[in-house]
Amino acid sequence: MRTRPAATILRLAKLASLVAFAMTATACTTVQPWERDLHARADMQPNAHDAAIDDHIYFSKEASSGGRGFAGGGCGCN
Amino acid sequence: MQLKKPISGPLAAAACSLLGALPSAPVVAQEAGDWDIDTSLLYYGESDGRVTDVSLDVGVRRALDEDRAFNFNLTVDSLTGATPNGAVPSNTLQTFTGASGNKSYTIQPGEQALDPTFLDTRVALSAGWQQPIGEFTRWNVGFSSSNEYDYLHLGVNTRFERDFNLNNTTDYVGLAYAQDDIEPVGGAPIGLSPMLAERDDGDDDDGDGGNFRGGGDQSKDVFDGLIGVTQLLGRRDLIEVSYTYGQSDGYLTDPYKILSVVDPVTGVPVAGPVGGTPYLYLWEHRPDSRTKQTGFVEWRHAFDRDSLALSARYMTDDWGVDSQTVETRYRWNINEHSYLEPHLRWYTQSAADFYRTVLFDGDQLPEYASADQRLADFDAYTVGAKYGRRTDYGEFSLRVEYYRQEGDPSPGSAVGDLAGFELLPPLTAYIVQFGYKFRL
Repeated sequence: MRTRPAATILRLAKLASLVAFAMTATACTTVQPWERDLHARADMQPNAHDAAIDDHIYFSKEASSGGRGFAGGGCGCN
Repeated sequence: MQLKKPISGPLAAAACSLLGALPSAPVVAQEAGDWDIDTSLLYYGESDGRVTDVSLDVGVRRALDEDRAFNFNLTVDSLTGATPNGAVPSNTLQTFTGASGNKSYTIQPGEQALDPTFLDTRVALSAGWQQPIGEFTRWNVGFSSSNEYDYLHLGVNTRFERDFNLNNTTDYVGLAYAQDDIEPVGGAPIGLSPMLAERDDGDDDDGDGGNFRGGGDQSKDVFDGLIGVTQLLGRRDLIEVSYTYGQSDGYLTDPYKILSVVDPVTGVPVAGPVGGTPYLYLWEHRPDSRTKQTGFVEWRHAFDRDSLALSARYMTDDWGVDSQTVETRYRWNINEHSYLEPHLRWYTQSAADFYRTVLFDGDQLPEYASADQRLADFDAYTVGAKYGRRTDYGEFSLRVEYYRQEGDPSPGSAVGDLAGFELLPPLTAYIVQFGYKFRL
């Protein structure tokens, strides 16, 4: 079996640091209703259509599925 | 691609507005009475004559008011090509029997063993309804179904969402249950039994193979529980964290996959039994239960004009598979009519405990074994981009992606002749998707 934990842990650590930084920087902020112009933009919404298509492709080719929500159905045998 | 630096400050924003560089800002909630229709035509093609899928997808969403909405989705997949059957290459001709028992196929020396006998059409249908319960809580309920000639999936799901903290926080909890029926061509094989030789079958008029392989029809139950939270982190940032617990019970084996049995020194396939194929191949066998746990986190950031999404997923299961996924999309809003969205995805997984490239003659048969590449130790990445253009008639988009999966081509079990072959050849695929989204 190949070894890869170091690289993976480094990547996850970087991501966790980024998330922690973002949360710390904004923890005390409550976004008021009139401050939601950016959150309301179409490109800030998840794209459920493409996500469902991707989920089915990766479900058929890899041993993992889901994460964003429930995994789709089907055999995915091929 | 070089990412543009975020422009900050009211002066810059005002300048952008004057120049028309800011995209239009549609509101989140749909207007009541609108039908939102999202369609796409997808081509998925693997290299080396492997699987090709052409898929048509139609999603319809109808908002009755701000919180009540109905959605419906139809997908039709048409699959052709050849798929690895699990056997390893050999220096001799290899002959395999199709699942129905009525056809056989031959693989040339040194070639990867691909089963060319499958051809499949899949139709999937799902629908959901969202209904408010009180002022800050919503309830979603839905069903999903899909049908292939040898497979039927039926599922129900429900999800509660609650907004609080001035709608800065939304938490949710969901449950899904599915019952799948599997009617493999030729019946499900008995786990780790030998592949039989082609038969001259006068009884099987419909060509489905009857119960040639002895295991008949099978089924499985899948239960998923989901819990998560979405949190605004200021005016520009949002984070979503979720945890999914999945439990599958029943027939989890792939009824069309086999393993080669080879000599432990020479790596040459051993002779098959009387009534079997010329060389010995055993049908794979997996445990009848699987528990998966998945953690997911996504961060989205809005720049003045563009946006960035970054997500990570960790999955672990009791088959010994651990996987990590990191994915990012940068949305470059070129102008108010068009955008370009580069996408990167990186994935890695460890092998299932019962994954074997081959079985060795003379060894005691394991309880479970599979040579399915999807249960192997591999890394994968996806690189692609989506271009979208809004017109008076709706939004058109084109997405092109490249996917590559690569494991150790010559793992520890590559003895004798096998050392000269790629036992786990890389998989590459192209994904091309045309999309058209409009509102009625």
